[in-house]
Amino acid sequence: MSRARWLAPAAVMGVVLVAAAGKAAAHVDTTDGCKGSGTFRQSGLAVDAAEIGDKVVVIPRSDTVDWQGSVTAPPGAYSGRISVDLPPPFGALSIDSWKGNSQATSNAGSKTYNLPKLVPAGAEFKVEGTHTDENGFCTGYVNLKIDGGPFDSPLTPVSLVATVASGAGLFGVIRPLFKKVVAA
Amino acid sequence: MKVGRAIAGAVLGLLFLLFVAVDLVLFGVVPLNSVVVTILPAIGLVLGAVLGVLAGNRSAQLHTQVQNGSPV
Repeated sequence: MSRARWLAPAAVMGVVLVAAAGKAAAHVDTTDGCKGSGTFRQSGLAVDAAEIGDKVVVIPRSDTVDWQGSVTAPPGAYSGRISVDLPPPFGALSIDSWKGNSQATSNAGSKTYNLPKLVPAGAEFKVEGTHTDENGFCTGYVNLKIDGGPFDSPLTPVSLVATVASGAGLFGVIRPLFKKVVAA
Repeated sequence: MKVGRAIAGAVLGLLFLLFVAVDLVLFGVVPLNSVVVTILPAIGLVLGAVLGVLAGNRSAQLHTQVQNGSPV
């Protein structure tokens, strides 16, 4: 990958996830003074890692994100990744990673994305990012939802039918519990 | 028969609460990384097995009752 990707801000899944300077935001931890932000072109949504806090960011299903990021000193050798947090004990699903060597202290770019219908709208995801360079590290996360309703995804009716079917099956198995035993 | 009902109860209990957990995520009630998504299927497994055993016992009682000619 190009050296343009050495900064933590990477537009993945439609959101620019960056680690911010300072520890005011509970979800950001950094030792290399990194900053980052992104703006969604069509929706006008602006996301600054330092200001997100723990609130849920609702992003459009498709858009173009203009992102920028910086660190306080030339990073040298760097690496990082972005992942979606899964339920325990499954850990995290890595969706992007980067590594390389650079002396640049800031960067910017654009990322166009279009999430498939299968990715459910309305569901809350925690997307985590980590970036390590010779000056320290940046870690952070953002809680996000895709704009729309649960029935935008074909997974929802499938899951509801499966719930009813398995519930009916379970009821069939435990049905004797609902019949009275008459004392002899 | 009791073992079979316990296993069926465990499997269906697991599946039932697993899909309930998926529904809760899809409707935005709990986040994807919530521990609830892990706990619910486990509860379903245990609860389904216990209910399956109890249902097996009750089924045996009902069967005996029918054999003795008592009304069910």
